[in-house]
Amino acid sequence: MSLFTWLRPSLPAAVDPAMRQRLAQLPKPAPPGVHPLREQRWVVIDLETSGLNLNRDQVLSIGAVAIEDGAIDFSQQFERTLHRPAQKTNPSVLIHGLGPDALAAGSAPATALLELLEFIGDSPLLAFHAPFDQHMLGRALKDSLGHRLQHSFYDVAEIAPMLNPDTVMREAGLDDWIGHFGLQVDERHHASADAQVTAELALILFSQARRQQLDSPLQLSTRLQQWRRRKAQSHSW
Amino acid sequence: MSKKDAYSQAGRTAVLQNIQGTLQFLQRFPPFKQMEHSHLAFLVEQCQLRFHASGESIIKPADGPVEHFYIVKQGRVVGERQHVSQAGVETTFEITSGECFPLAALLGERATRTEHVAGEDTFCLQLNKAAFIRLFSMSDVFRDFALRGVSSLLDQVNQQVRHRAVETLGSQYSLNTPLGELAMRHPVVCTPDMPLREAVRLMHEQQVGSIVIIDPQRFPIGIFTLRDLRQVVADASAELSAPIALHMTAAPFYLAPDATAFDAAMAMTERHIAHVCLVHERRLCGVVSERDLFSLQRVDLVHLARTIRHAPRLDTLVSLRGEISQLVERMLAHGASSTQITQIITLLNDHTVCRVIELALAERGDPGVAFSWLCFGSEGRGEQTLFTDQDNGILFEADDTAQADAHRRALLPLAQYINQCLAQCGFSLCQGNIMAGNPDLCLSRSEWARRFAGFVREASPENLLGSSIYFDLRAVWGDEQAVEQLRQGMLAQVRDNRIFQRMMADNALRQRPPVGRLRDFVLTRQGTDKAATLDLKVQGLTPFVDGARLLALANGIGACNTLERLRQLVAREVIDALDGAAFEEAYHFIQQTRMQQHQRQSRANQAYSNRLDPDSLNQLDRRILRESLRQAQRLQSSLALRYQL
Repeated sequence: MSLFTWLRPSLPAAVDPAMRQRLAQLPKPAPPGVHPLREQRWVVIDLETSGLNLNRDQVLSIGAVAIEDGAIDFSQQFERTLHRPAQKTNPSVLIHGLGPDALAAGSAPATALLELLEFIGDSPLLAFHAPFDQHMLGRALKDSLGHRLQHSFYDVAEIAPMLNPDTVMREAGLDDWIGHFGLQVDERHHASADAQVTAELALILFSQARRQQLDSPLQLSTRLQQWRRRKAQSHSW
Repeated sequence: MSKKDAYSQAGRTAVLQNIQGTLQFLQRFPPFKQMEHSHLAFLVEQCQLRFHASGESIIKPADGPVEHFYIVKQGRVVGERQHVSQAGVETTFEITSGECFPLAALLGERATRTEHVAGEDTFCLQLNKAAFIRLFSMSDVFRDFALRGVSSLLDQVNQQVRHRAVETLGSQYSLNTPLGELAMRHPVVCTPDMPLREAVRLMHEQQVGSIVIIDPQRFPIGIFTLRDLRQVVADASAELSAPIALHMTAAPFYLAPDATAFDAAMAMTERHIAHVCLVHERRLCGVVSERDLFSLQRVDLVHLARTIRHAPRLDTLVSLRGEISQLVERMLAHGASSTQITQIITLLNDHTVCRVIELALAERGDPGVAFSWLCFGSEGRGEQTLFTDQDNGILFEADDTAQADAHRRALLPLAQYINQCLAQCGFSLCQGNIMAGNPDLCLSRSEWARRFAGFVREASPENLLGSSIYFDLRAVWGDEQAVEQLRQGMLAQVRDNRIFQRMMADNALRQRPPVGRLRDFVLTRQGTDKAATLDLKVQGLTPFVDGARLLALANGIGACNTLERLRQLVAREVIDALDGAAFEEAYHFIQQTRMQQHQRQSRANQAYSNRLDPDSLNQLDRRILRESLRQAQRLQSSLALRYQL
C-alpha cells in the first residue's frame, strides 16, 4: 500500500469497486474551447434542495437537460429524486413539493450522482444562480462519492444581464427572465422543468451571444470575467 | 459504449417530466391529440427543441432536400416567397403554436419552395427525417394527417360539426331526448262537442294523424287518431255529424315534456298506442307520435317541399317556417355540407315564394299581365341562409312606354301584397326597398335592359353597388326565357367594358379579410361589445362572392352561384384548378361556421348576427378559419394583379 493511497481520504462505504471503476473512467472536464457555441455540448442543471443553507441542507432531486448541436435534445434528459430517508419535512417542501414519500422512494444518492456525472461527461454546466448549484452538487459528490467536482459552471443569471445591458432588472430571478422573454412554462420548482426552462433561456442567450460576436465558450467565459470585474468596480465606487 | 450512447442511456432510465410536459402541450393540437400515446411519446423523445430569433431563416429553398419535420412550440413562423412579378417577398402563410411544416417538401423528398422565417422569437420542436419516417409508418393518424394535410383537418371539422349537431338533437340514436324537444308543432285540438266530420277535416288540413280533445282548462280528455277513424269508417252505423266525444279514446296516456323519448317509446310499445300527449301543469303542450320519435332518422325534405307547395293558406306557410329551421338542424346532424343546406333552404324558399304568389293571385285575382318574379343578391345566387331578407323585382313584356306604365299600374298592388305576405313568412322586408312593390323594380324587359346598361356605362358608387346586387339575378316564378335574354345582354356589355370591370375589382377589394401580418385576426369592437369580433359575411364571404362575380361577368359566365362560378372559371382556365378548390373549401368553411352560429343563436332566442369572436372557436376551427380568410386574401391579390390595382 503506497503512502498516497493511505493519505487519500477513505471512500464512502456506498461506493463499491464497480462504481470506483466507473468513477475512474469519467472524462476530465474540457477547458473552455474556441469552437462555435453550437458545437459545444452543454448540460443545464437544476437542483431542488431541502433549503438554502450551503452547509446543512441536502440535494433532494436533480434535473438536467443537454444542449447539443444548438438544440435541447429530448432524448438526453436526466432526472432523479434522491433517497433521503432522514429528511424531515420543512417549509421548503412547499416550494419543491418533494414530500417524505417521494424522497423515501428515490434512488440511492451515490448511484444517482454517478449517473449524473456520466450524463454530464466533459460538458460545461449551465445553471441559474450557478454558484449555489455548484456548491451543493460539489458537497453532495464529496459526501456520497468522495469525488471532487471540477466542471466549470456558467451562470445564466450572469449571462442574461451581461447580454441584455438595456434591460434594467434589479436582482432578476429566473421568473423575471422567463417573463422578459415570454417563455411558456408548464410547471416551475420541479428540478427537470426548471432545468428545461433554464435551457430554453440559454438557447435564446446563445443566439444573442452569437449576434454580439461571442461565438465560443472561451469568448463567453472571458467576457463574463470582464463583466464581473466591471460590476465589482462599479459597486465599489 | 460510445460517449453519446452512454449519455442517452443515463438519460433514459427515468420517467421524464419534460417529455411529459411537451406531450401534454402537443395533445392540445390535432393531429397529435388523436395519436396514440406511445407514438406521441416516441415523437417527443426523438425531438430537439431549437430556438430561432425573430427574422432568422429556418429552412429555405437553397438548403436542398428537407431533413427535418418542425412543430412550432411557441412563436410564429412565416412563409416568404419571392414575388413573381415585382421585387420583394410576399407572406404566403403563417404557422403558429402546435402547427407543423414542411410536410409537402418532406414527403416529396425535395427542398421547400418557400423560405420559412421566424416571424418572432420562436421555439420549434424538430424531428429528424428518420424518426419522421418511423412515425409515419407507425401511426395511422399521423400518416393520414401528413398525406392529406389541411384537408384531413377539414374532414375532422366536418365530423365535429356532425357530432355537435347530433349532440344538440340529443343524438338520433339515443332516446334520451326530452319529449318537449321532439314535439315539433303545436298539437291540433278541439272541444268534445265538435262534430266528427269537422274534426277530421281539421286533421286533414293540418296533415296530422291525431287530434286531442281538451276541456276548457286545456287538459286532454280524449284523443282521436287515424286508427280511430278507420274504426268509424268500418262501423256502418257511425254518424259523421255526431260529436267527436262519442268516438274518441278517453283519458289518453300522457307524459311530462321532460320525460325522455325512451319513456314514450316504452309506453307506446306497452300500450299499443301511437301517440303520447305531453302535459305540463295539467295543460296540454304537445303530442308526440311514433313517427316523431323515429323521424329523427329520416330527413323528410320531399314531404316538407310538398306541404309547402300545397299549403292551402298563408297561415300554413307561416307555420311551416319553423319546420324549415328544424330541417336545417337535422340536415346538419346528418352531415350535410353548408352548400347542400343553402341549396335546400333556397329550394324551400323558392317553393314558399311560388306558393305565396299563387295564393296572392287566387286571392287578389289575375292582374291580366304575364310577369316573372325575379330575385337578386343571395337569393339570386341560391346562397340563402335562414337569416334572409327580400331582394326581388318583377319583369314583364311591354311594347312601349305607355304600355309599360299601364302594366306597372296593374302589377304594383299585387307585388306590394306579395311583399307583405312574404314578410309574414319570415322574409323580412328589404330596408333598401329592393322589392317588387317598388315602381323602380317593377319594369319591362327593355326598361331592365336600359337600367343594367346604365350601371355598366356609368360606374358611379351607387351603380357599382347596384350591379353587385342586381347582376346576381334569377327568375323564381314565371317565364325564365326573358331573364336569360336580359342576362346575355348584360354579360356582353360587361365583357366589352374593361373600365367597368376595373371599377368592380376596386370595389371587390374594399372589404379586406380580417387577417393581419402580426396578429392572426384583425378584430373590431362593436359598440359596447365585450369581445372584439369579425364579420363572417362581410369580411369572410363577400370577398369570394365579389371576386367570383367579377371574374364570371368578365368571362361571360351566366351562373350566379358563387361555387358554380368558381367551377366554371376553373373549367375555362381563368383560375387555376388548385386555387379554385382552395377557394371553394374556404368559402364553404366560412359559410358553415356562419350557419352553425345562426343555429346557435336561434336556439338561444338571440337575434341572428354574423359577428364572431374567434376565441369562441376551438383550436382547429380557429386555425382553419384563419386559413380560409387567407384564401380570400389571395383571391383579392390575384384580382389586384389582374386589374393592376
